[in-house]
Amino acid sequence: MSLEYAQNDWYAVGFTGDMSDGTERQSALLGRKITVGGPGHSPWVRDENGADLPVQVRYNHVWTAIGPEPRRLFDIAEADEPDRRFVPCGAVKVLCSPLRAVENFLDIAHFPFVHTDILGAEPHTEVSPYRVEIREDVDEVWATQIGFYQPQAAKSATEAITTKYEYRVPAPTSAVLYKTCPPRPEAWDVIAIFVQPFDEDVCVVWPWMALIDETTAYGDLVHFQQEIFLQDRSILENQIPARLPLDPKMEIPTRSDLTSVVYRRWLKRKGAFYGALTHAA
Amino acid sequence: MTTYPVGLARDLPNGRVMRAGVDGVDMVVWRDSRGTLAAWGNRCPHRGMRLSHGFVRGDRLACLYHGWQYDASGQCRYIPAHPDLNPPESIRTVSYHAAETGGVIWVSLSEGPEPPEMPADFEPLRTVFVTASEAAVTAAASRTGLEGPPAKETAPGVFDIARRRIILFCNPAGPERTEVHSLIEPGASSEEKRLASRWCEAVRRTAEASERAAA
Amino acid sequence: MNFTLYNYVLSGNCYKIRLMAALLGAKYENVAVDFYPGYEHRSDKMLALNPAGTLPVLQAGSLVLTETQAMLTWLAKNFDPTDSWFPTQDPERLAEIVEWLGFSNRLTQSAGIARLHDMLNWPVDGDAAKTAAIHDLRAIELRLMDRVFEGGLWLAGDTPTIADIACFPYVALSPDAGIEHDGYPAIRNWLYAVRALPGFITMPGIHYLHELNESASA
Repeated sequence: MSLEYAQNDWYAVGFTGDMSDGTERQSALLGRKITVGGPGHSPWVRDENGADLPVQVRYNHVWTAIGPEPRRLFDIAEADEPDRRFVPCGAVKVLCSPLRAVENFLDIAHFPFVHTDILGAEPHTEVSPYRVEIREDVDEVWATQIGFYQPQAAKSATEAITTKYEYRVPAPTSAVLYKTCPPRPEAWDVIAIFVQPFDEDVCVVWPWMALIDETTAYGDLVHFQQEIFLQDRSILENQIPARLPLDPKMEIPTRSDLTSVVYRRWLKRKGAFYGALTHAA
Repeated sequence: MTTYPVGLARDLPNGRVMRAGVDGVDMVVWRDSRGTLAAWGNRCPHRGMRLSHGFVRGDRLACLYHGWQYDASGQCRYIPAHPDLNPPESIRTVSYHAAETGGVIWVSLSEGPEPPEMPADFEPLRTVFVTASEAAVTAAASRTGLEGPPAKETAPGVFDIARRRIILFCNPAGPERTEVHSLIEPGASSEEKRLASRWCEAVRRTAEASERAAA
Repeated sequence: MNFTLYNYVLSGNCYKIRLMAALLGAKYENVAVDFYPGYEHRSDKMLALNPAGTLPVLQAGSLVLTETQAMLTWLAKNFDPTDSWFPTQDPERLAEIVEWLGFSNRLTQSAGIARLHDMLNWPVDGDAAKTAAIHDLRAIELRLMDRVFEGGLWLAGDTPTIADIACFPYVALSPDAGIEHDGYPAIRNWLYAVRALPGFITMPGIHYLHELNESASA
């Protein structure tokens, strides 16, 4: 599949916290071999020929791009708020399309079945209508006015609540979630996934969080998010076809899938086809 | 067009789900709470999740991802995200044909093919998946014994070992993959079944070794 | 009898202890160790507690246990009024249980390592681990089939024991490393029986039996 669009996005390929002077890791990006090296405060990334690729450090991760005209990396304002705790959760490899990984992150109807007794529980399965739009000024997909009953919305939650959610897709392989922050209801907790496509059927997902929570131990915060993401992995590895179908005839959405419907339409419009299926083949 | 053995009926209790491969088609085979058997394409039409990871409630199979429920005919009957919605008729699974005779579950892609004539009263032995061709498996069966001479193939697929007859049903799952489901003649003691099970294991070892040697 | 468990949510070995405690209704203090990506199990503090640098670690007063087999026996002896999870009177049954505890170590090295390779990109020989894991799964399937012929289900005797709990996690999680259970009907049946036990808890990669959920509305 064409790299024409994908090559000019930035992708997370490493996490600065576990990189030191001599670190050198083999990795892959968009079907090409890359090497990622430390130290974390000034990392490098090289392509298969040993040539340097552009690098930036943002959100505790090392980002790179392989194309000739990298777009501006999206901004997450909460990353600069000093009273937040930043929790990079490491890398999880998944045998699925990077686009499937993002779409799963945007979905809430699966909470009672896949994240049972944490993010959802039967019989509270109904998804109320919510709003999705493509914000043209920033060219991002935004889903708002989402509410869902959650037995344990966050590690900091002490009881079941109806969590408010907003989803934002600033790039085809990254997604940001803003959800009710139990200790400070006027603010949002921020959870994101940065997906690194190894190729169209294999990706590495880097979850990251910017939370307001003064009491929970750091290990508990990591565990909470890792537990949730790893629950999705066995779903992602069992979706057929592996690549995300952009032809609306191939899969049947309902109203609760509005975010995914708009996400797929937005991908098609941009020509972001890497990891997608564009014909009902 | 033919029908394929995909498992032993004993190994699919009521209310349970298994995955099967038939002529290159990935399938889900399941029984509702009363024992009714069904075979469908292994894919929920919602977001493509494999239905073989699903769960049975009453007479319906539910997809693990979003809990969509399908009745025995493959029609979607319930979507948890929209509990009051009557799902449109277009939301259905792809149906195939399942039957059980002689303790074996048979699946075909289209209606028509009948399972072969099955001996009365043979008991289920076990299922083994072998990383070898069907030819390698049947050749290995005639060369493998258990503390004695190798099994004798007395009829196609029927092997005499340790004075008991075992029938092997093969489902070719690829050039180097065969799913073997075996039955044993009635009256075998549990000790004889243990021996027969070990014979199946030995056949697998022999078949896989010969496949590796040929490679 | 209070105890503390130094735990990693994604560890199959830690899950053995979490699961056994849940089945026994045993409460404990959970300390979340940032195994990955923090490598906290190798911190000075953790190495002082367990020089082997492994997880889980169970601490009860001055007792520190670092092997899951030992933890399972300790939990069974301290929290099981029925004395059925680790019966020690019958020497043959006891030996069978201990044999499976030993086997569970092989599973950690085969299926457990294959899973770390595929899921977290651990720098180990994934292919060798997978070959060994298939070998181990076939061995369990053979043994479980023996039990089926005898009319039984559990690994050691007629009731579940710590043998089943020790072997359950890495067998249940083998699909995380691409090893599906389709060719192992006896294992599938056994996994289902473990998951149906009262008090059962899951971990990522092992799903709830939603069919048993009584609070479902449909």
